[in-house]
Amino acid sequence: MRFFSLKRFGLFVMLVVALGLLVFITTHARADTPQAADPSIPALSPNWQLADIDASPPQLVATPPPPSQDTCLSCHISGQNKGIWTPLARWTLFGTLGLFFVFGVYRSANTWVTRSPWKPFTNRAAEWVDDRYQVSAPLTKILNKPVPKYALRWWYCLGGITAFLFVVQGITGILLAFYYKPTPEAAYASIQYIETQVYFGSAIRAIHHWCANGMIVVCVAHMLRVFIMGAYKKPRELNWVSGALLLVLTLVFGFTGYLLPWDQRAFWATTVGSEIAGAIPAIGNLALVFLRVGWNVTGETLSRFYALHIIIVPLATVVFMFAHFLMIRRQGIAKPL
Amino acid sequence: MSDIEHTEDTIPFYPDHVRTEFYVVLGVLAVVLVIAIAGLIKPVGIGEPADPLNTPLHVKPEWYFLALYQILKKIPPMILGIEGKIIGVVIPIVLVALIFIWPFLDNRPDKSKRAILIRLAFAIFAIITIIALTIWGEVS
Repeated sequence: MRFFSLKRFGLFVMLVVALGLLVFITTHARADTPQAADPSIPALSPNWQLADIDASPPQLVATPPPPSQDTCLSCHISGQNKGIWTPLARWTLFGTLGLFFVFGVYRSANTWVTRSPWKPFTNRAAEWVDDRYQVSAPLTKILNKPVPKYALRWWYCLGGITAFLFVVQGITGILLAFYYKPTPEAAYASIQYIETQVYFGSAIRAIHHWCANGMIVVCVAHMLRVFIMGAYKKPRELNWVSGALLLVLTLVFGFTGYLLPWDQRAFWATTVGSEIAGAIPAIGNLALVFLRVGWNVTGETLSRFYALHIIIVPLATVVFMFAHFLMIRRQGIAKPL
Repeated sequence: MSDIEHTEDTIPFYPDHVRTEFYVVLGVLAVVLVIAIAGLIKPVGIGEPADPLNTPLHVKPEWYFLALYQILKKIPPMILGIEGKIIGVVIPIVLVALIFIWPFLDNRPDKSKRAILIRLAFAIFAIITIIALTIWGEVS
């Protein structure tokens, strides 16, 4: 038996994810607040005597709930009044059992009526789609394509990690965009709101921040791997060009995203960065004005960087990533020595 | 394209290769989870609000532009009668252009060990230069 198994490691990771979620849901999602003590009743001292109770009997009587509060159906379903677990567990348990029961009845009736063995829903759906669009033959061809064994070595994974980090950045970026406001008045406050008020807001911003840095590192590592192994040579020249373009796009992501918090660091880094662009001979001033929308870094600059960061650069990246992958697919992975 | 590769040692793309990629993704996801927990404990944070009238003492770009910025800062004001700043901007642009057209310059199908070692040495030299400039920019 192997001591370290990747499969067990994967299961362990999933377990950790689930446990982490459980801990955070139980610690963060509680909506019931403790009842304030009634000041009219004197508190019982820790070492009380029986005589004290005789002196003030109302203390021991459980106070009934206030009679006429407005009913809240959603609170009942979400369990806001009783703690989240009781109704949620009830719905999950009995709901699942009920679905099983309904499915069993349907399956029995269906087998009885059609006099043929039961076919799973997934097979039916696949047949339904294939009947109309004939996807199974090309899909099988794509999935069965042989891949050389050396493609499993770890340094061949760097490009894939970059692509996955791009997906992570997309997801966390969308989540941040729900709360971020790209105006000079509100940007700073909205970042503070994300960091302090939004559930998991600081975690999402940390992922977006650190994975952006990690993406540049992995991207450069991937490029170095390709360079050192000479994988850019004929017939893969255009793959290298598209990859270099993707690296430039990643840097543009970093440059435009850095301004968005609208703090001193961001503001002056952008001022300096666009000044560097302004020093280019011949087109310098044009580049400066294009980046800043005017001669100074203002709210217009923020809007422009925001549009670049969340729409234009991602679209360009997706297009070139697709081209990059398509070329790899056509030409296969370059052979090592 | 695929008939060349049938002769070598191959595995099917699905499920073998996809499974491996899935494990890699799980590993990266574990790192992401660690970052998330670290972010909950210690958020990335935000500095002072932007103030166009108040220039801070140490203005720095992001770390991946620090090397370029350091070149621009340390380049002498005049080289051979051309303004140094222009040279400092043009050189990186030329380098990036060189990276873009590199496969067309070096297109001999050379698979020798020596060529790889030369490229490795060159890559290590470039990386060390960039890291040194970055660290210099970070501490200065």
